Amino acid sequence: MSLDFSFSEENVMLVDALGEAMKPWAGPRKAELTEMVSNSIFPQELWQTFADVGLMGCLVPEEYGGTDVGLLPLALGFEKIAAMGISPNILLVTCMDSACIARNATDAIKEQYLPDIVSGKSKFCFAITEADAGTNSFNMTTKATAVGDKFVINGAKSYISGFEVADYMLLVARTTSQEDSKDTKMGQYHGLSLFIVPTDAPGIEKQLMPMAFNEGVGQYSLYFDNVEVAADQVVGQVDMGALVMFNSLNPERILAAAMCSGMSQFSVNMAAEYAKERKVFRDTPIGCYQGIAHPLAMAKSEHEAARLLMLKAAWAYDQKWDAVKVGSLANMCKLMNSESALHSVDAAIETLGGSAFTVEQGLLPLWNGARLLKTAPVSKEMILNFIAEWELGLPKSY
Amino acid sequence: MKVLVTVKRVVDYNVKVRAKADGSDVDLNNVKMAINPFCEIAVEEAVRLKEAGTATEVVVVSVGAKQCQEQIRTALALGADRGIHVETEGAVEPLVVAKLLKGVVEKEEPRLVILGKQSIDGDNNQTGQMLGALTNMPQGTFASEVAIDGDKVNVTREVDAGMQTISLNLPAIVTSDLRLNEPRYASLPNIMKAKKKPLDVFSPADLGVEVTSHITQLSVAPPAERQAGIIVESVEQLVDKLKNEAKVIS
Ligand SMILES: Cc1cc2nc3c(=O)[nH]c(=O)nc-3n(C[C@H](O)[C@H](O)[C@H](O)COP(=O)(O)OP(=O)(O)OC[C@H]3O[C@@H](n4cnc5c(N)ncnc54)[C@H](O)[C@@H]3O)c2cc1C
Repeated sequence: MSLDFSFSEENVMLVDALGEAMKPWAGPRKAELTEMVSNSIFPQELWQTFADVGLMGCLVPEEYGGTDVGLLPLALGFEKIAAMGISPNILLVTCMDSACIARNATDAIKEQYLPDIVSGKSKFCFAITEADAGTNSFNMTTKATAVGDKFVINGAKSYISGFEVADYMLLVARTTSQEDSKDTKMGQYHGLSLFIVPTDAPGIEKQLMPMAFNEGVGQYSLYFDNVEVAADQVVGQVDMGALVMFNSLNPERILAAAMCSGMSQFSVNMAAEYAKERKVFRDTPIGCYQGIAHPLAMAKSEHEAARLLMLKAAWAYDQKWDAVKVGSLANMCKLMNSESALHSVDAAIETLGGSAFTVEQGLLPLWNGARLLKTAPVSKEMILNFIAEWELGLPKSY
Repeated sequence: MKVLVTVKRVVDYNVKVRAKADGSDVDLNNVKMAINPFCEIAVEEAVRLKEAGTATEVVVVSVGAKQCQEQIRTALALGADRGIHVETEGAVEPLVVAKLLKGVVEKEEPRLVILGKQSIDGDNNQTGQMLGALTNMPQGTFASEVAIDGDKVNVTREVDAGMQTISLNLPAIVTSDLRLNEPRYASLPNIMKAKKKPLDVFSPADLGVEVTSHITQLSVAPPAERQAGIIVESVEQLVDKLKNEAKVIS
């Protein structure tokens, strides 16, 4: 009888501590935070609270200032933040970059960056997408050429979130062309490398993308014109970046799922509270009508199922299960939790009627957030492709 | 200087408590539990004394069932050094708690004992005072400021007439009021460290105390539901309603 669904005392204490720490931002300072998000002012104080509670150290070994408690507690933390109606913002990328560095980088790089991530001093963004390389990352053309003890980077990236507030970026660039990689042992997986680049490095030009979406940080197009990076700033081996990258994409998906789970919780709970109070005909609260109650009950059930999958995926990652199996679970849980979040937010909007669209209730940003997480960091279609291929053994169509 | 702090396990203050269907007690099934907020303030004060170099060790004690150890761990994560759990079956009344605490005081010989002024479940406001009587130690209740001054402690108390500051000889007992401080939240590194801090368990017999009961709870009932209020248009209307509807003035 080894199956046990109870949380450890430490996990419960972490979530409680986070709940206390976040309370001002979900209560008296909520309007202030909403205002900051809509004006793209970075909530540095909130960021420092994340660090003080210890979130940035979850995936970092103790010798670099972290606790290395694993992805499960971190996922519970993300869920809690989202369940209080707060977006963890670029915490997601910073944490996934920390996992990538902790698992793959040289000791010198770990020493250089990890303690500052843990303390809240450094923020990281992640740059992989290009205008012609989104879903298909291998199409990327941003090039890093070795020159002496440096690499020189030229090319362009798009949709890079939080570049303006990040101190560093984890950049994926080509060190061998797609053409030359084809005949290597790794085939198309060969030829990409990961670099840590300061966001203020000479030669980087940024342009804010006008988005119909605001999560508090901007999305940027970046242009690299002979940007120099020291050769010792490569994470993992040169040309083997794809291997390293997938290591950090799994935690990213699981944390994205945890955010979705929190959004579901937040929206279903607030809608249920509203439905208990709001009376439209006579003295009957609208929660009495099955037309209102059933979609919320359905969303609640769907959320519980999706959440279990997310917890299992995080747990499997911490147990160092086989990478493909973790990949499947990470993909499935991102898929199910993003669907669950959308259904929950939709049911909540239906319940609140017109007031769902007010700034005060904060549901529309959640709708946008949940919808984004269906498409990014990996789309629903690509997740289904992965599951069809790796879980069902179906032929690859692309 | 050794400081002893007490923590009680109570229903989390965010939870809306409900009575059991048979009215015998508060329904604790699946209810989130936490440290009594006044005890949390007591822990914070002790930890601050340690950070200031005034206290050398902070020992946290809780009386109750096995699950109390969760609250002791939380206090350890907030900065206490060591835990003591006095394990009893179920809830015990203030006098018994005070007797058990007296046993712990005799074992530990702290210079200062800080308790919450009351717990948010029973609202008794008795344990600190009873411990004072049993141990013959001076007490400063409802503290909103605590300052150690050599072998004395100055306690500022919130009393009806305003603020009163008294000076007590150490060893002494202090009970914390709401405005004594604002407790910190635990951090993950400290939560992990708390796991490794020592926690001793004693039975009432170990402390030479017999658990007796002088109080029987007859029933628990929720407060009557309040009717929604109205906003009156004018002073005249208010006076009219008070006179003719509520009939509270004539
Ligand atoms: C708000 C926001 C923030 C972002 N932040 C970052 C960031 O910080 N860093 C970063 O690097 N990127 C970021 N991105 C980029 C994001 O990861 C990409 O948009 C995403 O990977 C999809 O790429 P694309 O936009 O080029 O879509 P495309 O690749 O053009 O895909 C278009 C559609 O075709 C579908 N499709 C493609 N191939 C197949 C197939 N074989 N089978 C079935 N369907 C298929 C896709 O699923 C998708 O629905 C962000 C995007 C947004 C909107």
